[in-house]
Amino acid sequence: MRVKLFAGLRERAGWGERTWPHSAGLTPHQIWSQLPDPAPAHSVRVAINHSFASFETPLNPDDELAFLPPISGG
Amino acid sequence: MNWPSCRRSVEAERREPVEATMPRLDLQLLTTTLDPLACLVAWQRQLADLPGGMPAAEAHFIGRVRGVSGQGLPLEALELEHYPAMAERRLQELAKVTAQGTAAVLVRHRIGQLRPGDVIVLVAVAADRRGPAQRCGQALLEGLKHEVPFWKREWVNGVGTWVEGNTPL
Repeated sequence: MRVKLFAGLRERAGWGERTWPHSAGLTPHQIWSQLPDPAPAHSVRVAINHSFASFETPLNPDDELAFLPPISGG
Repeated sequence: MNWPSCRRSVEAERREPVEATMPRLDLQLLTTTLDPLACLVAWQRQLADLPGGMPAAEAHFIGRVRGVSGQGLPLEALELEHYPAMAERRLQELAKVTAQGTAAVLVRHRIGQLRPGDVIVLVAVAADRRGPAQRCGQALLEGLKHEVPFWKREWVNGVGTWVEGNTPL
């Protein structure tokens, strides 16, 4: 599966997109906790296949998971 | 999150027939300079083709890049990043929900590098009444600020800082 980071999260991690090994029951929260020096989770939102989702949603092997820092559009 | 609805009130719906047609949505993200007045003129020409002709009410909002950063320093540039595919999808979903009870919605949102004074966003709503037009415009703007994946980075003295959060109303 693919994992994407945006804006400040990308620069903090030093990468914007990675292939991540999938395992049964894998959740965004588990991936987030494996990132080095993650930002506080309460300030981050999760998107799966371009829709907002929760940190505890089970992931599928073909999913695109994105961690989104606070939105500031408009 | 539940978007503020632009539906007419129950009383208004009793008095008047509810429009059966879907609002016309014209939504785009732009990488080039946005001329809001030219966009509005072109959009208004198209409104004349709507069933019933030009709607009686329009609400417009134009947002520009401030000349100072969040820290009050002179701003050199503002960078707007987005999540391709998700930003377009969320904008479409947002417009579909908020535009209920209106006739047409126009949104233009910049991405890429902008200078102070450049237009970031144009929102225009046409409706039969001022209430739905203004409420829909307000809901769309708040949705753009909080629910569509855009991120701003302010450039001051060659240093970029990601903006976390939005300015108050």
